[in-house]
Amino acid sequence: MRPIKNPRLRKLIRFAVPWVLMPGLVALGIAVFHEKRYAFISLCLAVLSVVLFASGFDKKKTGTRRLVIVSVLTALSIVGRFIPFFKPVTALTVLTGMYLGAESGFLTGSLTAALSNFYFGQGPWTPFQMLSWGMIGFVAGLLASPLKKSRILLLVYGVFAGVLYSFIMDIWTVVWYNGSFHLSLYLTALVSAVPYTVSYVLSNVFFLLLFARPFGEKLERMRVKYGV
Amino acid sequence: MAILEIKDVSFTYSGQNHPALSGVSFSLEKGDFALLCGATGSGKSTLLKLLKKELTPLGELKGRVEYGGQSVYELPDAVSASCIGFVMQKSEQQIVTDKVWHELAFGLENLGLSSAEIRRRVAEMACFFGIESWFDKRVSELSGGQKQLLSLAAVMVMQPDILLLDEPTSQLDPIAAGEFISTVAKLNRELSLTVVMIEHRLEEALPISQKLIALREGRVYAFGETRKTACALQKDSEFLPYLPAAVRLHARFDTPLPCPLTVNEGRRFIEAAFDALPPAAEISPRVHAEGKALEFKNVYFRYAQKLPDVLRGTSFTLYENEILCVLGGNGSGKSTMLRIASGLSKPYAGHVSVFGKRIRDYKNQDLYKNCVALLPQDAQTVFLRNSVREELKGVDTSAFPFDLTELYDMHPYDLSGGQQQLLALAKVLSQKPRLLMLDEPTKGLDANTKAQFANIVRQLRQGGASVLIVTHDVEFAAEVADRCALFFLGEVVSSDETRAFFGTNSFYTTAVSRMTRDRVANLSTVDQACALLKDHRRRA
Amino acid sequence: MNAFDEFNPLSVFVYFLAAAGIAMFASDPVLLSLSMLGSVLLYCIRTRSSQRGTHLFSLMLFIGLSLINPLFQHNGVTVLFVLNDNPVTLEALLYGISAAAMIVSVLYWFRSFSAIITSDKLLYLFGLVSSKLALLVSMALRYVPLFKAQAKNVDAAQRAMGQYREDNVIDAIRLKLSVFSIMVSWALENGIVTADSMAARGYGIGKRTCFSPYRFRGKDALLTILTLLSGAAVCILMGLGHLDFNYYPATDPLLFTPARAAAYGAYLLLCLLPSLIEIGDALKWQYLRSKM
Repeated sequence: MRPIKNPRLRKLIRFAVPWVLMPGLVALGIAVFHEKRYAFISLCLAVLSVVLFASGFDKKKTGTRRLVIVSVLTALSIVGRFIPFFKPVTALTVLTGMYLGAESGFLTGSLTAALSNFYFGQGPWTPFQMLSWGMIGFVAGLLASPLKKSRILLLVYGVFAGVLYSFIMDIWTVVWYNGSFHLSLYLTALVSAVPYTVSYVLSNVFFLLLFARPFGEKLERMRVKYGV
Repeated sequence: MAILEIKDVSFTYSGQNHPALSGVSFSLEKGDFALLCGATGSGKSTLLKLLKKELTPLGELKGRVEYGGQSVYELPDAVSASCIGFVMQKSEQQIVTDKVWHELAFGLENLGLSSAEIRRRVAEMACFFGIESWFDKRVSELSGGQKQLLSLAAVMVMQPDILLLDEPTSQLDPIAAGEFISTVAKLNRELSLTVVMIEHRLEEALPISQKLIALREGRVYAFGETRKTACALQKDSEFLPYLPAAVRLHARFDTPLPCPLTVNEGRRFIEAAFDALPPAAEISPRVHAEGKALEFKNVYFRYAQKLPDVLRGTSFTLYENEILCVLGGNGSGKSTMLRIASGLSKPYAGHVSVFGKRIRDYKNQDLYKNCVALLPQDAQTVFLRNSVREELKGVDTSAFPFDLTELYDMHPYDLSGGQQQLLALAKVLSQKPRLLMLDEPTKGLDANTKAQFANIVRQLRQGGASVLIVTHDVEFAAEVADRCALFFLGEVVSSDETRAFFGTNSFYTTAVSRMTRDRVANLSTVDQACALLKDHRRRA
Repeated sequence: MNAFDEFNPLSVFVYFLAAAGIAMFASDPVLLSLSMLGSVLLYCIRTRSSQRGTHLFSLMLFIGLSLINPLFQHNGVTVLFVLNDNPVTLEALLYGISAAAMIVSVLYWFRSFSAIITSDKLLYLFGLVSSKLALLVSMALRYVPLFKAQAKNVDAAQRAMGQYREDNVIDAIRLKLSVFSIMVSWALENGIVTADSMAARGYGIGKRTCFSPYRFRGKDALLTILTLLSGAAVCILMGLGHLDFNYYPATDPLLFTPARAAAYGAYLLLCLLPSLIEIGDALKWQYLRSKM
């Protein structure tokens, strides 16, 4: 296969695969198996996309130090998930994506979900958490330069990530339960999840506001002194 | 033929003008056990890293480092990784994976060996090191000594010819350190492994080594066979503090007798050189203040209802304006005692009072306002900012018995261990405590830094502070403490004024005390021994 | 030691994927009942001691989930009663029960799955996809307890240095943030040394192998073959439409066609496999002990 030369096109494809192709496939699956149980199809897709990403990661050459830093940040955000109510997981994932690149962001987010669920309970939701947290980190990596420039934009992204995470997980909950999407059920789920959504959004904004600068400085030191 | 040959090596870190090493040359034979010593900043760590291709820092290198006649920088990756092993100071940082078996396999996985080969080599190594009983454990469940042993085994499994060790025992308690050093000695003795080790605990390591390399300001100051080199070094005041107590004692006297290295040789030296000794050194009794800075009365503590007691009726007193050293092994409860004394844990029975007031009557963090402060064991738990200047912002450092202004522009993590300790102490002192508690303050410090730290503690006491020190380091306690207490299984089993304390103990005491105790009682430091012995030279 | 835990993690993983996956895909009430039977039985055999709390929670969840659907879904021809002008139908209730059975049984499958697939085994599974990823996971798992312990030390150090000014919430949050910030610095600096340690032991010099203490033996192959055969049988029959079951507008009658019977048989075997393995193992030991 010939590599794609045009960086714009490459970026577009990188963006399109997770955000257009994946939901598209889910929709297609729903259309074909109009019977019901879309949950299983989307589950398979979530697993598949994580596996695809993982095998891509294996082929790429990653510096030893970068690998360690990613594992450190993953462990930090797993530990952070134990803090009650205020959880820095999403903020850490976003910052990782911003400063270490989209791929590291995806890995930190998705591995945090997979590994922390050993303590918080594994279930069919794990692949979805992996996918959504991974995507939050991935997109933060794609938007790195504007996010680094504008504090406002970063906070907006934090709010967006918190709300989106909640919305996606609720869609999954409803689809899993009902076999198909059901609007009033979904709305009820959203309303009942409001305290969680608020806590996600607040934690994201809070931690991004407080961490963005010191975290940037710390990683900058890593870059200058150790060339990560 | 030499296995390791250093030929006129000079090294300058990138971005610096001053060379860290200049004109270093020496060579080692296969099976040599070499100790590398020198003050902080003498370039010993830099030199050790230059012997290992993968760890060579950025900078300009002149000269050659040869392994078996070939430059180590031109070795194939796989040969370099397996033939030259490196054990780091902190096992927490060296260990990569989460399980013991995986850590042992890690290096072999990198070499791309087959599962069957890895299984064989790992099994062999686990047997040699006696790791079988904790082979399946998580790294987080191991003790400090076990972790360092695992670091060593994980390097040895790659079957190196040369083993480089960078202060491997600095984070260990004396018992684990002794075990570690004898394991290295066994590897050297039984497998003819060539060893180069940086080590502060020369008391144990020096007698078993064959070569000694002394570095000073980036140059080889002395190199050669251990006993000869140690004897030569005792003339030098910079190196003297690093040497074992027997050598330091010998250095004080102008004598034709050969220089002793071990406690046993030191005892014979005293027998040969001195006579008509009094049965005991006189101790002038010390008058302590009336006020009590800290008092434990029958304190009981456990971490959970189902767990056994950690403190079982602990009672002791620290008087005002006094330095009390609490000694004891791992798990004796002395760290727990410190947690309780600093208000971090609460006992379920008994009384703890600070300056005459019950600790639970201190409300709203008053305990920490000009009252109690604890210097934690790990200085890195207090650094929050990007430079020493920012760390000390708003702290009046003029009254401190040490000066950090030279370091103001550095990042806390770029400081040496001793400097980090002082920075942490400065932060702790900013609360102007009247009762200062120190948790293992000499861990990882070299002899000179230790002496400096002892001085600082004495000056703080002179400034009116009361000091409680928890330590494994008997030599430090003998230097600095007014009184000592021995913790065992959650109780204070003995406590006395320092000289009497070490005078009565037979095993848990200083090297000087063990050397002199059958002739003169109550001697615990080289200074004390010299003061007494100098009047009793044997006439020729 | 449980016999089913001893199988190769890959076989166990495939097993749970098949058993729980079919349950998530099925709408047939008998299949869902079988899934419920198999998952609860396995959980009970494995935990042995009574897990009353878990079962009670599952029962409440089952009831709750069953009742949610009829409140929102008003399709169906058999109206039971009318609530707030909305008909509550028997079909919607039955559908709710089937969804609840699916969810509760999948939760039970996952409970056993988490207990059997420990982090070690997960690492092995990750290693099959990517050895680099497996290493990353192993390192993260190493760091989690280390960081937790260090966070405790940092918190104690900060408190005993008097960094809390007052006993109030704002101060507590401020301190917790410093603790986290100190942790980040410490963890990153530590990580750099670890990276050196990895390089010193030859990380990154060539193709890495992935050592694992798990072997793939005959019994693992047998388990996988049985899983795949029975799973595939159910899936094919499902794909051909033999196991369609509609709840709306009126619940389909349950007709026992030969295809249905075959699918039930296959899925029954699949669901009971681990329980049978456990029981067989217990009997074998009883026999061996009587001979000793």
